[in-house]
Amino acid sequence: MSQSHKSDEALFRLVQAGRRDAFAALVERFQHRAFGVALHILGRRQDAEDAVQQAFLRLYEARAQYDPRWRLSTWFYRILTNTCVDELRLRRPLVPLEEWDEASVERPDHTLERSEREQVLHAALATVPLEARIVLTLYYGDGKSYREIGAIRGISVNTVKTHLRRGRLALRRALRARGVDGS
Amino acid sequence: MRKQKDRRAIQIRVAQFGGVSEAWLRAAFASPSAPSQLARHIMEQLDLQLEAEKPVLSLECLALAASPAGITRMFLRRRSGAWFSTLEAGRIGKIIAQARRELEEYLAGERTFFAVPVDLSQVPAFERAALEVAAQIPYGEVRSYKWIAERLGKPDAARAVGNAMAGNPVPIIIPCHRVVKTDGSLGGYSFGLVRKEALLDLERRRAAYVGCISTKIFCRRGCAHERRIREGNRVNFLSFDDARASGYGPCSVCQPA
Repeated sequence: MSQSHKSDEALFRLVQAGRRDAFAALVERFQHRAFGVALHILGRRQDAEDAVQQAFLRLYEARAQYDPRWRLSTWFYRILTNTCVDELRLRRPLVPLEEWDEASVERPDHTLERSEREQVLHAALATVPLEARIVLTLYYGDGKSYREIGAIRGISVNTVKTHLRRGRLALRRALRARGVDGS
Repeated sequence: MRKQKDRRAIQIRVAQFGGVSEAWLRAAFASPSAPSQLARHIMEQLDLQLEAEKPVLSLECLALAASPAGITRMFLRRRSGAWFSTLEAGRIGKIIAQARRELEEYLAGERTFFAVPVDLSQVPAFERAALEVAAQIPYGEVRSYKWIAERLGKPDAARAVGNAMAGNPVPIIIPCHRVVKTDGSLGGYSFGLVRKEALLDLERRRAAYVGCISTKIFCRRGCAHERRIREGNRVNFLSFDDARASGYGPCSVCQPA
């Protein structure tokens, strides 16, 4: 509680000095936004929880490598989106690809109630190419600027815009196909 | 009733492009709360991780043999001890040292391919052909015994392929662990099914491609260039196409494809 006034970067310096409580404070601070981002990229709550957990552990492991010229949030979001990309590998079934049955891929999420809008969004997002989906999520879900997104994903502002434009088009098309439409 | 109202509200807010409005998108993307126990779980995991963890497969339990043409065999050792061939001089010693280094990186999840040569000259023709097909299965993916049999032009030879995999003299380097049964079950593994599962799990946890944000070049994981990318400059990509679409060019050394 005494740490609530400290900046992210100041807290992280304490983490680097071995303070577990400072890390716990950062987890508290970032967890909701991180969960939202992971959820939109991955589409399933269980996977999002795993990814957020994994990302925080990697943040901790890489604490010595943190470059203070970066904002901590940019650094963390880079790790988080990288983890989400890795996490998508876990979806790969242990069944040869050519014999994979589409129906078993989409397992409904019974564990938690989800709003209708969230479900529609995630069904539509699943059709958007991965990199565009990540950019869309950072832009709409977290209000990140083009520059920040570029820094997080290591791409130019123009590429951010391209992904965003393509992603928006694909998302709108998919939403329209699911009855969310202006007509 | 409420649902209908909600849907109407959604439709009213639709604006430009004949599609969904910016406001709808922002609202839909608004962050949901993280599960209440998430922070506690993370700290528990952290504490667990801080304790030493013991891998299922480590360098210490593997031993290698080589000819001047490449690695000829890999053994699983029951007792730990020095690598018996590491003191070998000349070309064989170099090959063993390279294999050892690559295996170490692979087991740490830092490498997705092997560059060390393999010598299969002592393996019968059919088995060798089956192993060569298996060697083409990409990191993190699986194929069936039947798939290999079909590639060899002998669709009924799935069982013979299974025997060829069982006799693989260089497991891991030739990734016979990526070959499973058509029903999705694991099949067999000469190093034991627990290890087969652990290897597949290891591979599924790591994206195959890593880009460098300063050079805009992407590598297969394990490439010498990839290892020089600092943590702050790394971007993981799931596929070749994702990396290309993000404006990254393939490394000319490890040649991702």
